[in-house]
Amino acid sequence: MRTATSHEAAAVGAGSLRIDWTRCDGHGHCAALLPRAITLDDWGYPMIDAAAVGDEHLSDVKRAVSACPSLALRLER
Amino acid sequence: MTAMLGLNQHGGGRPLRSRPPAGLGWVGQPRLLRGIASRDLTSYAEHLGEHGPRPTLTREALLAQLDAVALAGRGGAGFSLAAKIRSLRSGPDARPVVVVNGCEGEPASAKDAALLTRVPHLVLDGALAAAAALYPDAAVYPDAALDAGRALDPGRVLIAVSSPSVAAAVQRAVAARPDSPRFQTHLLPERYITGEARALISALNGGAATPPGRRVLPSESGVGGQPTLLSNAETFAQLAYLTRVGPAGFAEVGTRREPGTTLLTVSGAVARPGVMEVALGTPLSAVAEAVGAEPARAVVIGGYHGGWLSEQTLRSGPVPISRAGLGAVGATLGAGAVMFLGVDTCALGELTRVAQWLADQSAKNCGPCAFGLPALVQDLLALNGGSAGPAGPAGAAGPVGPVGSAGLAALDRHARMVAGRGACSHPDGAVRFLSSGLAALADEVRDHQAHGGCGRPVQGDLPL
Ligand code: SF4
Ligand code: SF4
Repeated sequence: MRTATSHEAAAVGAGSLRIDWTRCDGHGHCAALLPRAITLDDWGYPMIDAAAVGDEHLSDVKRAVSACPSLALRLER
Repeated sequence: MTAMLGLNQHGGGRPLRSRPPAGLGWVGQPRLLRGIASRDLTSYAEHLGEHGPRPTLTREALLAQLDAVALAGRGGAGFSLAAKIRSLRSGPDARPVVVVNGCEGEPASAKDAALLTRVPHLVLDGALAAAAALYPDAAVYPDAALDAGRALDPGRVLIAVSSPSVAAAVQRAVAARPDSPRFQTHLLPERYITGEARALISALNGGAATPPGRRVLPSESGVGGQPTLLSNAETFAQLAYLTRVGPAGFAEVGTRREPGTTLLTVSGAVARPGVMEVALGTPLSAVAEAVGAEPARAVVIGGYHGGWLSEQTLRSGPVPISRAGLGAVGATLGAGAVMFLGVDTCALGELTRVAQWLADQSAKNCGPCAFGLPALVQDLLALNGGSAGPAGPAGAAGPVGPVGSAGLAALDRHARMVAGRGACSHPDGAVRFLSSGLAALADEVRDHQAHGGCGRPVQGDLPL
């Protein structure tokens, strides 16, 4: 068992893409909009691949953030 | 939870060995527990007779003392108390709040309950010393001016506990003090997560006793939006002792980097379970001797977010009880819970029972924690191989056949889907405990994989 990968956050622009786990309902819209950066775990919750998100994706990231129906996906500063 | 499907249970209906730790003891000289054998230290007069009056320190003097002995929090993270105080938001409208965290939601830990019920005034003195140093006006602010209904008067100390009997003991102790208006006791829901700093602050603010999703720092905005110094009950007792004897006296025992003593809660396959005070750096073997431990298959240290010491590690040399000493063998001191696993118990079954408990403790607010921890329990049950099965005639519940390495791969995969993915550190801590256990029990895991079990019953050496 390893614990190194946390799928927790990714740096984008000046902010960091994070999930508020208390709000995320596992709708999966974010994974549909950012297929390379976000995959879903066995239970349908998003896993962020920090290596696959960069500043060049800022507008896609913003779109995904505003599409999250639970206001769970956030670009925090 | 004793009849978990497919899990090793003892066949003869013998009671599980675990029970709430009973006694109080020490290796070497006690400090926090000093006088406990001859006096009733719940009496304020007896407490003053034993420890003398409480000195009042300025913020600078207090920080200097804390720095001199590098006093670290005793609730789990081991964070420097001086750094915590320095990180408190300051400014004209800042009214720092001091909170004693006495919510000991872990079944393997009883040291804070022991302090709050047997030597409560040491904890209260320490918290008040911190409050007076942080908000000096409170030192001259008359007790009579405090409003009993309001928590946030300047210089007030909040004591948060999650056990009704501990709450009653604290209230009795507070009522016996001349400075009783300074304290306010809060009884919070009795769950593991309640003790998490941000969950506790949310509860004190009238919300749910679960961590908020957004990252808010208690040092910035805690109780009532004020900068909040929240620390464990033992931390404040250590502080009270430090302010009385000074850094030199404090550092008479312990290691150079980690002076002083620490409280442990020892349970499992031992003759005398209980709360022990030991100097930091004391070898684990000395603790084992003091509690009459049986030869151990493994030792769990730091509670159920902590780590396992394998038989091999235990044999390969002394393990000093200190953050550095335990760090060197991949473990942590945590809140000081130490559990000895006997050679006659199914350690993998013990681990699985605790995994079930950890899954039950999830506040189920965060998907990966709510679904991932139960998935890990299922993986572990499969790994157990359904060997002995719940109580049946000996031999009737035979091996179900080899499990193979697929079981470990599933565990690994799920562990990576759980770690770090929650509003609090519960999923992290749970995964740390489980992976460290599986590593320490590699031989036993192989036995289960090859034979569908180890043939030993689960004795309950890990208390639940
Ligand atoms: S869209 Fe929002 S709620 Fe849905 S999975 Fe993504 S983060 Fe969670
Ligand atoms: S991570 Fe788990 S225990 Fe922590 S708040 Fe989320 S659901 Fe609750």
